[in-house]
Amino acid sequence: MNLHELVSELIIDTKGSVSGGLFSLPTADSSIGVFTPELCLCATIVLLLFIRLFNGGRKVDLFWVMLIGTGVALVASSPWKFLGSHPPLGGLDAVSRMEIFTGMLVYDPFTVYMRSVLIGFAFLFAIFTKLSGIPDKEDGADIYTLVLGSTLGMCLMASANHLLMVFMAVEMASVPSYALAGMLKGRRTASEAALKYSVYGAGAAGVMLYGISLVAGLMNTAHLPTMAVQLAERLPEMPGPEVMVLALGGMMIMVGLAFKLSAVPFHFWAPDVFEGACAEVNAFLSIASKAAALALLVRVAIGFGAIPPTGIEPGSRSVAQHHAATTETASLNNHAGGMFALADEAHAPTPAAHEGGAHDEAAHGDEDHAAATAIDGLAASRTFMAKLIAFLAVLTCTFGNLAAYGQTNIKRLLAYSTIAHAGYMMMSVAAFLVMAGDAPLQAQNAIAALAIYIATYVFMNLGAFAIIAFLRNAMHSEEIADYAGLLRRCPITVICFSLILFSLVGLPPLAGFIGKFAIFAALVDGYQVSVSAGHPAAFLIVLLVVGGMNTAISLFYYLRVVKVMTMEEEPADRPPFVYSEVSLQGAFVWLVTAPTVLLIINWNVLSEWAHAATLYLLAAA
Amino acid sequence: MIGISPVSVSHYLVVGAVLFVVGAICMATKRNALGVLMGVELVLNGANLNFIAFGSKYLRAESLGLDGQLIALFVIVLAAAEAAVALAIALNFYNNHATIDVDQASELKG
Repeated sequence: MNLHELVSELIIDTKGSVSGGLFSLPTADSSIGVFTPELCLCATIVLLLFIRLFNGGRKVDLFWVMLIGTGVALVASSPWKFLGSHPPLGGLDAVSRMEIFTGMLVYDPFTVYMRSVLIGFAFLFAIFTKLSGIPDKEDGADIYTLVLGSTLGMCLMASANHLLMVFMAVEMASVPSYALAGMLKGRRTASEAALKYSVYGAGAAGVMLYGISLVAGLMNTAHLPTMAVQLAERLPEMPGPEVMVLALGGMMIMVGLAFKLSAVPFHFWAPDVFEGACAEVNAFLSIASKAAALALLVRVAIGFGAIPPTGIEPGSRSVAQHHAATTETASLNNHAGGMFALADEAHAPTPAAHEGGAHDEAAHGDEDHAAATAIDGLAASRTFMAKLIAFLAVLTCTFGNLAAYGQTNIKRLLAYSTIAHAGYMMMSVAAFLVMAGDAPLQAQNAIAALAIYIATYVFMNLGAFAIIAFLRNAMHSEEIADYAGLLRRCPITVICFSLILFSLVGLPPLAGFIGKFAIFAALVDGYQVSVSAGHPAAFLIVLLVVGGMNTAISLFYYLRVVKVMTMEEEPADRPPFVYSEVSLQGAFVWLVTAPTVLLIINWNVLSEWAHAATLYLLAAA
Repeated sequence: MIGISPVSVSHYLVVGAVLFVVGAICMATKRNALGVLMGVELVLNGANLNFIAFGSKYLRAESLGLDGQLIALFVIVLAAAEAAVALAIALNFYNNHATIDVDQASELKG
């Protein structure tokens, strides 16, 4: 392969066509074409930095820049188009699995789903912070830049396909979060929270990188799908010491992931950071950061335990289309006397690439078959991962719920609640790994359950932290005791908060129930599949029992908050405050509470999207 | 010739592992926030040494290849970015508490 071929392949990978000039637009199936939402975020960041540079924050309200930036990015990621009931099939922009930027990232429906959740959350977050008034004229640009930078990192986490990208994305998401945690200037607690977060985070990232170096060095590749294939070939007769190093490396990578998930025993930072940082940042950390960490956990779990389908090459569709078009014109020209030699020239470089693409499409079936046989070689690492994740999930869930019991600060209580929810969500990944070998379709459904849970969780936690922030603005307190008797002051807000708390428990008519039910159903599915495959995974039943018991435990501490708000007398020493419910703030609270209440009426759309999102995660058996 | 063998991957890995362990101990025992950050740098550089060794084609027939060197480059840049943010946060902590002893960061607990 000479340099010219290399460069033209790179151009096809990046923007989909070699024929156009330097400034021709990338095609819809090229790496840049499918990376548009992230590029919108990048453009908004650069714009914000320029405005900051020229001190424009005093003249323009940067909220609008943020809102428009995230709005455009959300439209560009358009889940309604790619995941809806009639996704575009066969066209240039149909979503299947595609490894973009020479295999660094992966673009599949799961990427579309997760980045829509993340960018959609950033959009709601912009409105939320505007209403709670945290980004003022001085700091607005900084805060929005940090939030967008972190969101960009989280989008990369959701689409990472290479161990380098795993590390880079985790760092990109974490480093702005450290600064966000210390956003409140001159507060002792905020600076302490930021220090703890950054020290723990840097340590966990270091350990994770060392684990990555061991795994990549042992497998001689850092590309996750290649690694899975290598692992499947070598694992059955791998010598003992190498298996030990591999397991050590895998566990070190899990340290980094567990830190992002705030899974026990790497959860120490979460309660402290949540108490010290402001409620807005808590919402960001507990929703976006967690959703991205779970998506990354799924990606890494697939990299170690299952083989994804081959997918298509970026640009192959448009090259094929271009090739078809040029052959047509060429034959027409030949028919007309071959006057345009130019057309032949233009089509000259394409056949090789096109044959490559066609070969890929043709070989797809065979390779999928090979993948199905190769996946058996991964059974050992899959079981190991499933048990490790299940163990962490049990610890995380139980510890989070027990520790939440004695809390007096509402933000700290929700921090432990967040930890517990991370535990529930990790359970679905364990079920996924158990089923990945024997029943790929059901395994994908386990991830669909996770996707549903994440979507409901966005609204529940955003609503909870929005109410905490608005109440803080009014009464300058985040202690649960100060919420006593709020029912008389602001009945609608208290009702919304109670509904959200019941939803966090997972009581039936509310959205939290749908997510929890989906995950528990996935656990049962996993057990049944493992029994019919002849290797019963009893730990899934343990997970189910622990999950059920934890739901019961969590009822107590969530209900205690509701009881304080509704039943107790107002404290006599509470300073007077004004909280108006008929306001934009009140409207925002209703807006985010509405989905938690109304989702039960029609959750087909969400379920459809979630199932569409997981279609190309595993090669069909 | 007893005791003399050509330099191989394992020699690099031993140095990397020593750096990692020293860094981890440093992170766990230092009370000064800057000391903890230095420990993080040691851990990252231990991992970097692994990447370089695994990526070198002179040490093993099958290697990680250019990926190893490139990851090392990216990690150097990221370590600098992370250190910048962490130092700014340490300075902020000093402004509020007049110390950078991590044991003094104990107002938030429970």
